[in-house]
Parts: sequence; structure tokens; C-alpha cells
Amino acid sequence: MDGRILLVEDDSSIREITTLGLRAAGFEVLTAADGLAGLERFRAEMPDLVLLDVMLPRLDGLEVCREIRRESTTPVVMLTARGDTIDIVVGLEAGADDYVRKPFEMPELVARVRAALRRRGREAGSEGPARLRLGSLEIDVAGRTVARDGRDIPLTRTEFDLLVELGQRPGQVFGREVLLDRVWGYDYLGDSRLVDVAIGRLRAKIERDPAAPALVLTVRGAGYKVARPAVAS
Amino acid sequence: MGGLRRRLAIALVALVAIAVLGIGVGTYLFVDARLRDALLADATRQAQFNLSVLVPDRMAPGLTADTFEATGLPAAFRLRGDVEEVVDFGAGGVYVSTARLGGALATFPDGLRSSVDAGRLGYAWAAIGGEPALVVAGRPATAPPASASPPTAPAFYFVFPAGSIDLALGQLRVGLAVAAAVALLLALATAGLVARGILRPVRAGSLAAARIAGGDLSARVAGGGSDELAAWAAEFNRMADSLASTIGRLEASESQNRRFVAEVSHELRTPVTALVAEASVIEAALVDLPSDARRAAELLVADVRRLRVLVDDLMELSRFDARAEQANLEPLDLGRVVGSIVAARLPGAAVSLPSHAVVVESEARRLDRILGNLLDNARTHAAGSPVEVAVAVDPRGAGASVTVADRGPGVAEDALPQLFDRFYKVDPSRSGGSSGMGLAIASEQARLLGATLTAAARPGGGLVFTLRLPATRSLRDGDDPVIDGPEADDEPDPSSPATLRSSE
Repeated sequence: MDGRILLVEDDSSIREITTLGLRAAGFEVLTAADGLAGLERFRAEMPDLVLLDVMLPRLDGLEVCREIRRESTTPVVMLTARGDTIDIVVGLEAGADDYVRKPFEMPELVARVRAALRRRGREAGSEGPARLRLGSLEIDVAGRTVARDGRDIPLTRTEFDLLVELGQRPGQVFGREVLLDRVWGYDYLGDSRLVDVAIGRLRAKIERDPAAPALVLTVRGAGYKVARPAVAS
Repeated sequence: MGGLRRRLAIALVALVAIAVLGIGVGTYLFVDARLRDALLADATRQAQFNLSVLVPDRMAPGLTADTFEATGLPAAFRLRGDVEEVVDFGAGGVYVSTARLGGALATFPDGLRSSVDAGRLGYAWAAIGGEPALVVAGRPATAPPASASPPTAPAFYFVFPAGSIDLALGQLRVGLAVAAAVALLLALATAGLVARGILRPVRAGSLAAARIAGGDLSARVAGGGSDELAAWAAEFNRMADSLASTIGRLEASESQNRRFVAEVSHELRTPVTALVAEASVIEAALVDLPSDARRAAELLVADVRRLRVLVDDLMELSRFDARAEQANLEPLDLGRVVGSIVAARLPGAAVSLPSHAVVVESEARRLDRILGNLLDNARTHAAGSPVEVAVAVDPRGAGASVTVADRGPGVAEDALPQLFDRFYKVDPSRSGGSSGMGLAIASEQARLLGATLTAAARPGGGLVFTLRLPATRSLRDGDDPVIDGPEADDEPDPSSPATLRSSE
């Protein structure tokens, strides 16, 4: 599989070796050394995926991510220096799809990049039902939109995929690892906090009362599920 | 403290008691002597007047006891005061002015009679019929004819009642006793207050010392005054100041050290990130390298991994030191989590899990760090020995435990607690790829989860680590994690028992 990847990283050694590794894996790599240059390069070249360092000169990686999200749905993978939950939350809030913790080995990074690209390819040839109904939510799977009472609810790619994955089988419990595999595309070596953070953000958007969720439920000790529709409705 | 105050009070009261006793006895003796002196002076004066004026004037020779009354002398004596008399006429009999004095003559002391016989005025204190009295005795001043060899003049014994003295002394005794009792009670009350007052600075000092012992280095004793206690308070405060500044210096240098470690490990992260990525690329190309370069490249890759572990561990410990870590507890099946951790980290280990779900409030990621480090430790230090991992529920509902046991060389009993110290290595030559911080990190992670991590020698050789997780809310019976039902709501039910239970 090949694709065009924009790598925004200020450290020249990391930039060079990462470029080398990604090229060896068959990707075409574009680079930028600071946030502003990265944003310009993104607009000029329209890459298939962006690898974004968090700490960048001139324009912060999170800010770059927000800008990219305003303009497109191109997958963004953050390179974070630390694995704190707060960093994951901040990254996902900025619209990132995934994060890779530094230091990383090339095979790990390549696997994450491939997974993110695969998800993008999968949604092009969509499977399953074209539309889902979840309580008062209308989900247009093919059109990738969610609406309640005729009003669109903007979801990120990850949030949408998560909702569709759960919504296709109401009542079935999905473990965190299963969701990591199906939505993010990699198995237990990933961090299951990613799932929890993404679920929290999804609830904040689709639940009438995010503190007392009625659509996406936690199953203690097991994972998450979508409530089965009540027979009466 | 109470003992000291009591002793001080008792000493003060004893002092007052001794003073009261001394003053009382002194007063009593003084008053007693003065009253007797006054009575004696008065009685002597009266007796002298009687013997030198009244008796010579009215007494005729040949007078006997029977005729004495007629001289009118007894009435004349009585006119001058309250006095009774015994008159010894020798052969002429003994006159007594009142029946009470009958036979009293014999009871008068010999000294009195002999001084009378010698022609002197004498006196004696006596008890007559049980009544205290002063007896003053003598013969009339008119000298008998010198020829008369046996003294013919009668001997007069004037008996003055001394009961009033005893009465007065008795009243004085009562008065003194009451005064002494009042004084002692006052002394007791005052002593308590005074002792408390004296000991107040001592008490304040002990409170301040207790606060300092409890970690409050700002505790001081209120000083003032110039007595020994004030000097002591000043000395105490100086000690507290010096302690506070020493500890402040230590804390400052400690936090400086920690900041330094945090900054160093943070600065190392960027080059280490580059090194790790570079080594992974070299590793993929190892087969293409000539053989000597290949060996060097292999070592390089391994060393970069070691460096990475070291920096990762340093960063992790720095976050603990900065209290930047916090646990996100959630209910999970301990057996399932432990099973998957062991399967990923050390598939060769024997795992023994309960047949039912053991639900604890914990965090899978941190359990993975703890058990991962324990398994790494077993792999490094007990290479080749069978490793056994077991999950158990405390039968008393006090929590659940995970044990990791090996059959390695073990650790000396006294070195066991040090196992969790940073950079502690039992045998530096056997440290393998570990940073020496793995067990310290495991211990910190356990603390964050409210759990304890301990090490013990294993009977038959080897080490056993025990991770004890606290009892937490559990699923109700029949509320199995995989059961799908509308009652499986979002939050743990507050009505469910607060003890850990396993659901079959």
C-alpha cells in the first residue's frame, strides 16, 4: 500500500530517519520543520495522512491539527512526547484520529499509519446498512452524517466510526480491545484509554444528558454497547 | 505532666502546712505563758497583801482551824478576788474555805511545802478536784517569837482557779485549728493554680514539640520574661528554626534534584526518539550488513533499547515525583486482565485464575505496568526458572491479590525491603536489560491504585511478589459482566455491597 504522508517534525534527525523508514515501507513522504510550514504544505499538496509532532515551533501541533480539521477529514496521527491521558484527550479534542508515543520504532509507526489509511479506504467502499436509527438519532452511514430532529451533529471521523460500529449491533457488548481493533485498526498493543476518551467525546455530542447516557452505555468490567431500541418506540 | 503538677502542688501545700503548724504552736505557747504569767503576778500580789497586811492585822495567837472563820479573814480574802484558801495550823488543825479543798493539803507538791517551811512565798500549778488551779503559799509576815522552835504561825495556801486559762487556751486551739484548715484549703487551691501557671510554658512547649513531631515546622513557643522558662522557650524556638531551615534546605535540594532528573530525562527524549527510530531501521537491514558491522549494529540496537527503557522509566518516576499521575479506576475482571497481560508479556508462565470473575476497581494500563515489571524481573533474575502467576480473592472480603512467584536465586531476607528502592540491584552483573527502576515503578503504580506490593522469600527457594488490591464495590450476583440487559447501566449501583465479591 502506498500513500502520500506529510510529516511535520522539528527535530532534523527524527524527521530524516522517519522519512527514511516510511519511504522504505513504500510511502511517499513530504516534510515540514515547523507548524506554519506544515500547514502551508498540507494546503498545497493535500496528502493522504498527516503525522504531526505536538511540540512545534511557530505554530503548535494541536493548533495545526485544528486548522487541518476545519478544512478536511484527512487522517491526523499525533506524535506525543508523553503518554498522559491529558495529552490524548487534548489531541483527540483537536481532532486527531490517533496518537503514537515517542520514542517509537519504525514498524510500530508504519503499522499505525497503515491502520489509519486502511480505515479511510474502508469507508470509501462502505459495508452494512446505509442508514441507522438510534433513538432520536438518524445516522446516514454512506453520507457520514448524524442528525437529530433534522439538525446535523458534527462528529469527527473516529467518533462517527465508533458510533456506527456500536450502532450496527444494538445490545451487543464490545470490549475496548475489540473497538480498538475495529475502529482504530490495531490490537491490544494500543492504549484502551483511547476508546474511553473517544466514547466520552461522542457522548458529549449525541447524548441529551452526557452525565446520564441513554444511547451509548458502559457495561461494567466489559466495555460498551448501544442500547437496544425499546419495543414500544 | 500531671504528675509534675501534682508534685509541685503537694510541695507548696506541705510548705504552707509547716508554716501554719509553726505559727500555731508558737502562738499557743506564747499565749499560754503570758496568761500564766499574768495570773501568777496577780495571785502573788494578792497573797503577799493577804499575808503581810490582812493576816497580821486580824490574827491573834492561839488561833486554830475551828476559830479561824471568826476572824473574818476568809471574807476579807474573798473581797479581793476569786480565791479559796487552805490554812495549816499545825497542831491546831487545817482550815479549808470550801469542802472541795478537804484533803487537798496532802496533794500539794513537796517543793511548795518546803519553800513555805523555809519562810518563802512559793507557788505551784496543781489540779484540785480535777480543776486546774494556782496555789500560792506562805506564812504571815509577823515573825513568831524566836524562842518558839516549831513554827507557830499557820501556813496559808491560797488557791486561785486557773480554769479560765485552759478555757482561753482551748478556744485558741479551736481557733488555730480552723485557721490552719482554712489556710491549707486556700493553699491547696492556690497551689493548683500556681503550679498550672508555672507549668503553662512547659505545657506549651510540649504541645509545640508534638506539632513539630507531627510535621508542622512552624510551631513555636510564646516566649517573654527573663526566667529560666523564657530562656528555655527561646532555646526551643532556636532549635525549631534551625530544624525548619535544615529541612527546608533539604527539601529545596531534593526538589532541585528531582527537577534536574525530570529535565534531563525530558531533554534526552528527543535524541532517544531519533535513536530508537534509527535503530529500528538498522535492525530491519541487519541481514544486508557485512558480518563485523552486523554484530556492532546488533549491539547498537540492543543498547538503544536499554537506553530507551532507562529514559522511559526516569520519565515515569519523575511524573510520580511531580504527582502528575492519577488513577482512573474502573471496574474490571482481574482474572481476565492478568491473563491477557501474562499472555502478552511472558507466555511461558503458569497462570492460575479463579473460575469466576473477580471484579475490582482498578486500571488495566497500570496493572500492566506493575505485572509487566514483575515479570521482567522474574525473567531477568530467575532466568530459566518456572514463573507462576496466581489471582486469588481474600476469603474475608478484604480484597484480591495477584502473586508472581519464581524459583530463582532469591534475595537475602534483610535486602527484601530495598528491592523497591530506585536503582537497587541485588547483583549488578545480573541486571540484564533492566533499568533498576522497574520494581520502584511497580511499587509507585501500586500505591496509586490503592494497592500494596510486597516481596517475600519463597519456601523452597525463589521470590514471591504479592500485589494486594483493596476491596471495592463489586457486581451484584447475576449481574455478570457479559450479561446483556437493560439494568446494566452506566454507573456502579450505590446499593450494591461495598465489599468485594465474586459472582459465579
